[in-house]
Amino acid sequence: MITYSTPSRQRSLLIAGMVVGIICLALTWFSDTNGQHTRFWTNFLHNSVFFTGISVMALFFYSVCHTAWAGWHVQFKRVWEAMSMFLAVGLVLMSIIALGLIFGWHHLYHWSDSASVEADALLQQKSSFLNTAWYLVSIGIVAIWFFFAWKLRGFSIIEDTEGGVKDFKFQFKARWWSASFLPFVGFSSALVFWQWIMSVDAHWYSTLFAWYSGASLFVSMIAMTILILIYLKSNGYYQNVSSEHFHDLGKYLFAFSIFWTYLWFSQYMLIWYANIGEETVYFKLRQDQYPVLFYSNLAINFLIPFFILMRNDTKRKVGSLIVVSLIVIFGHWLDFFLMIKPGALHTAHELAGGSGHGGSMSEAHGESVGRHVGDAAAQVADGGHEVAQGAVHHASSAFEAGFTMPGFLEFGTLIGFLCLFLYVFYAQLSKANLIAKNDPYLSESLHHHV
Amino acid sequence: MRKFNKDIIFGLYDDETDLISAVRIAKGAHLDIYDVYSPFPVHGLDPVLGLAESRLHIAGFIYGMLGTLTAFLGMTWIFTKDWPIIFGGKPYWSVPAFIPITFELTVLFASIGMTVTYFVINGQGPGVVNPVLHDRITDDKFCIAFDMHHVDESSAKSFFEKTGATLIDKKKI
Repeated sequence: MITYSTPSRQRSLLIAGMVVGIICLALTWFSDTNGQHTRFWTNFLHNSVFFTGISVMALFFYSVCHTAWAGWHVQFKRVWEAMSMFLAVGLVLMSIIALGLIFGWHHLYHWSDSASVEADALLQQKSSFLNTAWYLVSIGIVAIWFFFAWKLRGFSIIEDTEGGVKDFKFQFKARWWSASFLPFVGFSSALVFWQWIMSVDAHWYSTLFAWYSGASLFVSMIAMTILILIYLKSNGYYQNVSSEHFHDLGKYLFAFSIFWTYLWFSQYMLIWYANIGEETVYFKLRQDQYPVLFYSNLAINFLIPFFILMRNDTKRKVGSLIVVSLIVIFGHWLDFFLMIKPGALHTAHELAGGSGHGGSMSEAHGESVGRHVGDAAAQVADGGHEVAQGAVHHASSAFEAGFTMPGFLEFGTLIGFLCLFLYVFYAQLSKANLIAKNDPYLSESLHHHV
Repeated sequence: MRKFNKDIIFGLYDDETDLISAVRIAKGAHLDIYDVYSPFPVHGLDPVLGLAESRLHIAGFIYGMLGTLTAFLGMTWIFTKDWPIIFGGKPYWSVPAFIPITFELTVLFASIGMTVTYFVINGQGPGVVNPVLHDRITDDKFCIAFDMHHVDESSAKSFFEKTGATLIDKKKI
């Protein structure tokens, strides 16, 4: 029976990466000047959401395959099982954010600040959903997701010893749990993404947002799967995962990159067309102050996978798949950067600027950019504190490492979280046989042909 | 009028696995296969037959790009030069509003272009008579056909008998 054993070099490399991440997080924490540690907390939230999302998408797709009686993936289904086990770590990471919310360690969310809510009609209206209790519900949902992941992995592993290639007992059980997981994750993921990411821009909302960010995570998950499988195959595991399987994964990467673009554009165009101030401000801020990220986001996540993976042969070749997968994972990480950072920075400035920003929503946000500079400048003239100066700096210059562009500390943090993800993944992968030998669909997977 | 100038000898098979193994044997024996017919696309038949990859998709890409350019440049010209209209206070050159139409025309050009190209290169069209070697090829039988100018009748017959063809017949098409 083949099991994966982590080479000591790989383990020390991953631990070194995690140390880099911790150092970067510490540097971010101590380099902060205004005492809010916004950059630290946004980096933490950004990466926690990204990798937790990847693992829940692995579980989602695994359940889809079970529910559809799919067989093509069965050879490497342990990869998705191991990826979904990262949900336990994601639960811890997001619990830290939730604890910070309860004890006021951070100001990531505008709605968590009671003084702002009192002065803001819109936040009051939304306070029945945007509050700490509902945030804890979202953490509870992750716990339930992990329960499903643990359950499904359990059926898969017990099948190795107690099942048989003609015995569908565990398949039926796994299918029942998968089919119950799908509607649950469909609705609960929307709640989770709204709470975690969309509520960073507490005044703004988009009904498409959950799908859009979910598609982003799904593409990243497929790209991650491709890279991991190529790595494992080059190290002598999964020799039967052929170009046929990579072709299918490549098709998913291609199709869901287009799907992501479709949702991105649908969200953008409706808001652009309707031009309602409270909605438009989201894109206005990003287009004016983050133009490089805003447009390169589309180029990286749509044009590159679209044109490279359009051909039949690029989906089957290792080289082109590696290039596209790396680009796409990084691109969607940037996508999440762009979802979280501007709103969090805005909140930080609002809170630093004091209560003068309250009142009606349109006043504070309708023409946020112009007003922002004006208000902050006025405060500096009044002898305002250094944070207001930071706000002026932000609004007037196009570049601020860590906020308008990812700086070295952001990349270091990404490396840290990526290594944590891979460390947990390989640890989980080595706990079970690499190939589910008693899965009735294994033979179908071995002879898969597209 | 169509000229019946090909002498075809063909064999019918019951099963697609029989068909593929027969095609493999024919390729190994260097028998020049005129064509293979089946009621549905048989998986893995193309590489066994040694058919080159179709270039239709390259034509499709070009048609698609043509559609993209037609739509985008057309709308740009119409709404900025020819007949500028203000819609909902948006600028004349409103790129996001053009995107859906550009997408639709890309799909339309690619699909119609590929369909027409397919019909032209296959000689299909109104009034074309397509000879059918045997009616059951359109139902449940799989057929290998040889042109008797390239493969002589006796070796074709022995090949069909050896590979388990259930019916052997000749037809002029």
